[in-house]
Amino acid sequence: MGRDGYLGEFEQVLLLAILRLGGDAYGVRIMEELEASIGRSVSRGSVYVTLDRLEEKGWIASESAPSTSGRGGRPRRVVTVTGDGMEELRRSRAALLTLWDGLEEALDGG
Amino acid sequence: MLPPTDRGAAILGDLHEEFLARASIDERAARSWFRREAFGVGLRYWRRARRYRREPVALDGRTIQRGSWEGTVDVITRNVRYAVRRLAKNPMFTLVAVLSLGLGIGANTAMFSLVNATIIRDTPYDRPEELVDVFERAEGFTHGTLSYPDYEDFVEGTTDVFAAVGGTQLALVPLDSDDGAEMLFGEAVTGNYFSILGLEAARGRMISEEDHVAPGAHPVVVLSHDFWVSHFGADPEAVGRELRIGGRAYDVIGVAPEEFSGSVRGIEPAAYFPIMMIDQLNNSTTRILEGRGNQSFFGKARLLPGLGVSQAEAAADRVSARLRRDHPDYWGADKAFVFERTEDVIMNPMIDRFIVPAAGMIMAVVGLVLLIACANLASFLLARAADRRKEIAVRLAMGARRRALVAQLLTETVILAGLGGVLGVIVASQALALLLAADLPLPFPITLDLSLDRTVLGFSLVVSVGAGLLFGLAPALQSTNPDVAPTLRDETAGGGRARGAFLRDALVVGQVAVSVVLLVAAGLFLRSLDASRGIDPGFGDAPIGMVQVVVPADRYSEEEGRAYVRELTGRLSGLSGVTSVGVVDNVPLEQLNNQSVRVNVDGIDPPVGRDYHLVDYAEIDDGFFETVGIPVVAGRGFEPMDRPGTEPVVLVNEEFARRFFPGVDPVGRTVSINDDQARVIGVSADHKVRMLGEAPRPFVYRSYEQRYSSFVWLVARTTGDADRLVVEMMAEARALDPDMVIVAAKTMERHLAILLLGRELGAMVVGGFALLALLLASIGLYGVVSFAVARRAREVGIRLSLGADPRSVIRMLTGGGMRLVLVGSVLGLLFAAAAAQLLSRLLYGVPPLDVPTFVGVPLVLGLVALLASWIPARRVTRIDPVGALRAE
Repeated sequence: MGRDGYLGEFEQVLLLAILRLGGDAYGVRIMEELEASIGRSVSRGSVYVTLDRLEEKGWIASESAPSTSGRGGRPRRVVTVTGDGMEELRRSRAALLTLWDGLEEALDGG
Repeated sequence: MLPPTDRGAAILGDLHEEFLARASIDERAARSWFRREAFGVGLRYWRRARRYRREPVALDGRTIQRGSWEGTVDVITRNVRYAVRRLAKNPMFTLVAVLSLGLGIGANTAMFSLVNATIIRDTPYDRPEELVDVFERAEGFTHGTLSYPDYEDFVEGTTDVFAAVGGTQLALVPLDSDDGAEMLFGEAVTGNYFSILGLEAARGRMISEEDHVAPGAHPVVVLSHDFWVSHFGADPEAVGRELRIGGRAYDVIGVAPEEFSGSVRGIEPAAYFPIMMIDQLNNSTTRILEGRGNQSFFGKARLLPGLGVSQAEAAADRVSARLRRDHPDYWGADKAFVFERTEDVIMNPMIDRFIVPAAGMIMAVVGLVLLIACANLASFLLARAADRRKEIAVRLAMGARRRALVAQLLTETVILAGLGGVLGVIVASQALALLLAADLPLPFPITLDLSLDRTVLGFSLVVSVGAGLLFGLAPALQSTNPDVAPTLRDETAGGGRARGAFLRDALVVGQVAVSVVLLVAAGLFLRSLDASRGIDPGFGDAPIGMVQVVVPADRYSEEEGRAYVRELTGRLSGLSGVTSVGVVDNVPLEQLNNQSVRVNVDGIDPPVGRDYHLVDYAEIDDGFFETVGIPVVAGRGFEPMDRPGTEPVVLVNEEFARRFFPGVDPVGRTVSINDDQARVIGVSADHKVRMLGEAPRPFVYRSYEQRYSSFVWLVARTTGDADRLVVEMMAEARALDPDMVIVAAKTMERHLAILLLGRELGAMVVGGFALLALLLASIGLYGVVSFAVARRAREVGIRLSLGADPRSVIRMLTGGGMRLVLVGSVLGLLFAAAAAQLLSRLLYGVPPLDVPTFVGVPLVLGLVALLASWIPARRVTRIDPVGALRAE
């Protein structure tokens, strides 16, 4: 998954969640967003590890933001989607749309 | 493995944030959630790390093989970057820690430089293990210097044990220059001296056998390196030029090596002369090379290969026996030659006996100061470790290797210690510059090379890094203790004693105890100084100017010399404000010179082994007593009628009368002085002779008019300013003879000040370090109480919200700090009582268990400690009870 630059499903989900959160995407928010949109709990460890991987690939950038209250003085890692990340999302979306083309009705009917 | 940087912290922050949200609903459920999530994240990262361990890992965009050298460097770089970031995030902590360490290391570096310069620095001698210093033991001197004739006899009788015997003698010589004479220290050495030491000239040649010819016949000089630079501008052509001393030209034959700074440490001579020129250099009537009474020759000898000191002693005893036979009145039964290995001698064994313990004491003092500073560091680190214990516990639970964490924490400490070390070296060099610039009332300038050489810097480096590792290791090991479960379990609540608190308390107790020891030592020195200040020397209690001149023996006969001095005293009497003028050849309490005569009084037996009593004496004129304020209590003082050719007369002091004429009036009786009969014409009041602390000592005054001496002090009492008088006196001495040699000039106040100098310096240095220790210990206490306030915020919040009086809460928190102070003080007083016994030899007029000191110190310390713990405790009033209850 992902080593060759192919955007995996979970990576795509994370990128989209980050985009939806705007400038406020950090651990707690991302977990909330994922649970709210996917409707099931996700593994926290996978989220962090995937975020690391996305950053290594250059699709997201992170920045250490000052702590807010109730964090024991620890910083927040606020992430944003980079230009490369956007490009990757667009390519993935186009690929999916091409694949979905003509199949919507069949599925809707199901 | 959790990423060590902000990423890990961010994950912990996320967990923390969610935990709090959950805990507000159900705390127990929240805790179990926290454990599950933390474990889950840890497990995920651990798996990833295990997979990556076998693959190259990307760090900062570069791919590096784990375990490689580059990887290690990277880990170090990362640790350093992490540590610097953490330190920058807590500037107050960093500042206080660096300042504490800087002061502690600075104190150690400065004092070590002194010790290094006086004791440790090596002499540049060839095969030093074969060299021995030769001394004479006599009454009152365990290691006295030799006379030149003694030396000649010694050489003759020890050829079977020594390859060569030589020696040197210090001389104060007048360098002729355009603006009068400048007094220089010189050494007059035997022809073989430098070859015995194995010293080669930097330029030209050293003094050698070819210069050791007839007395006064061969004026040559070897310049010291420093003098060559300062007076000859390091001129490469200096050899072959000449140096004018006391109106005589000396050919410069060489420049001494830079690393040789003279034979006696602390006294750096400007030049070296053949000993055959000593009488010309001194320009006095005394013939040093002939008289046995003049003992100022430092002997040095090189043992034949394979021989030891014991063989040398046997040979020396034979010489000693012959001297006793040939000169029984001079070489008494108590006299003998004594050897010390040159490597073991610093200045002179009699002085070393004080230097070495003083150096040991001062190093112990600064060592204790550093210990307190390090305890502060350890204490701060423990407090911070407590702050971070959750983060570290989680990271450990996630499989972070303890070694890596400890390395990371230690990096931080070592950086702190390194910064402290840099600051310390700066502090030390500034302090030493101040010390060198201080105008101490010393009789001669002490030159010590206090530059921060490799030894000193190495010392500072070892001390800094050692302190960092030693005092960082305990907190690092403690906070990374793999038994993390308890920390995870009660990781929210403020209650309960945090781990590390005990260690911190113990550190404060230790700091207080050490401070008490240092404060007691300082108190004892201050009291001792006070007692010394209270001693009445018995003379000189008025503004008095003193100028010492040497009436050149080659230009002035005795008669002419007396006439010059008489003329000069007359002129000095005419100066405005001067009420009295006197002459003396040896001012009492002069630290560089003691002189004595052989005294015999009928009916009073000399000490066993001797045929006479040795009594200190001075030659004075008829104005001396009045000028310095010594009263004549019986008979009369000297008068103009006591002249050469009349009956020799002497005055004795009260102690002399008590000891030699018990129950009898000494006035009118005769005594034998150096085998000549003299009549006692009066008795003077006792005064201190050699030291302030001494018991009354017998003393004899002879008449300057009847005896003469080419070395004389002119003393004048004024109603005005003594400093100005000294300048006027020098001008008058030169007005009469522009080439007159002025050896020394000072006020009586300064003359007496040197007697207290040692005690003043001791009190100042120990007092300064004790205050520093008190300051550092207060910082430590302040930190501990602050920490207790933060740790107990929740408990305090409950108390306050239940209506507790803030003042009683402050009292409770302050009381916690003060309990530590009490324990520390009691321990400290016990140690101080033991330490005081060791100090007793350095004390005067104060018992080691001085009650005011032992009561005053805990009181002062208690007050300071109260302040240091009250200030942070007072902060509880600012705690918001509700906020404290909600969060930690």
